[in-house]
Amino acid sequence: MTDERRWIDRFVETAARQMAQRTSRRNFLTRLGSALVGSTLPLLPVARAADDSRLPPPDDAALKGDAGDPKSCDYWRHCAIDGFLCACCGGSQSACPPGTEMSPVTWIGTCRHPGDGKDYIISYNDCCGQSLCLRCRCTRTEGEKPIYFTSKNNDLLWCFGTKSRAVNCSVAVVLGVATKS
Amino acid sequence: MRGAAVVLLAAAAASVAAADVGGPALDYALNCQGCHRADGAGTPGSVPALAGSVGKFLRVPGGREYLIRVPGVAQAPLDDAATAAVLNWILARFGNDDLPADFSPYTPAEIGRLRRDPLTDVERVRRDLLDAIARSK
Repeated sequence: MTDERRWIDRFVETAARQMAQRTSRRNFLTRLGSALVGSTLPLLPVARAADDSRLPPPDDAALKGDAGDPKSCDYWRHCAIDGFLCACCGGSQSACPPGTEMSPVTWIGTCRHPGDGKDYIISYNDCCGQSLCLRCRCTRTEGEKPIYFTSKNNDLLWCFGTKSRAVNCSVAVVLGVATKS
Repeated sequence: MRGAAVVLLAAAAASVAAADVGGPALDYALNCQGCHRADGAGTPGSVPALAGSVGKFLRVPGGREYLIRVPGVAQAPLDDAATAAVLNWILARFGNDDLPADFSPYTPAEIGRLRRDPLTDVERVRRDLLDAIARSK
């Protein structure tokens, strides 16, 4: 170890010990919690995979039947999904299963939330890097266009920009609310 | 205490509503963003970046026309007015630093004229334009 690294180690250790003597963890957590509740920024625990535009989705707790079940083809976000639901494959409606990678290239549509009646922008990302999950196969086509509109077609495998082209399952991530203005 | 902090964190996240998106921003989200991504970064090897790139095409001959004649724009399922609006939105958002001083926004009539003449060899035209952009520096 070089003298420079020893110096940095000593400095960090001293600073950490002094902070530990002056402050309590409980005090720190209290202040941190207050700051976060007061904040308007989306922090944790928000699933983020493709970009930073993702914001918390609407509440599904009050939805009736399969419209509120992420493992169902009838789940409201799945109005244009074609593939195996990641919620049935070790992931969730917005997170890939462990060991797979979310494709940054995706196709995007809208689905109406049956609770608030708003149209939400949904990104259908494939999770790539393992063979087909083969559970909860769904084919819904709201807003889908024929294959010659490739960017709006969900028959394609969307594993572009990922290490592997093998598709495992698909997620339906809420990006925002579509408005007319 | 730790559990309380987690609850506070979850409450902070849940209190934020999903953002409203409309107009050309919505058209970008639904027709362009899936490939070019929300930040215009594209995906190297698959999809060209818009950010830091798209505005430079307007500085070389043929570049203004190219941005409309590329398949994604010429064949977009948007009418001429909406296409002009989303192109101008893209240029303002991802190319503002690169626009020439005499830039004028696209008009619906210009979109309608150019999209009827789509490119048949996109890669070659793009390569030539990128060479021209590099030479113009």
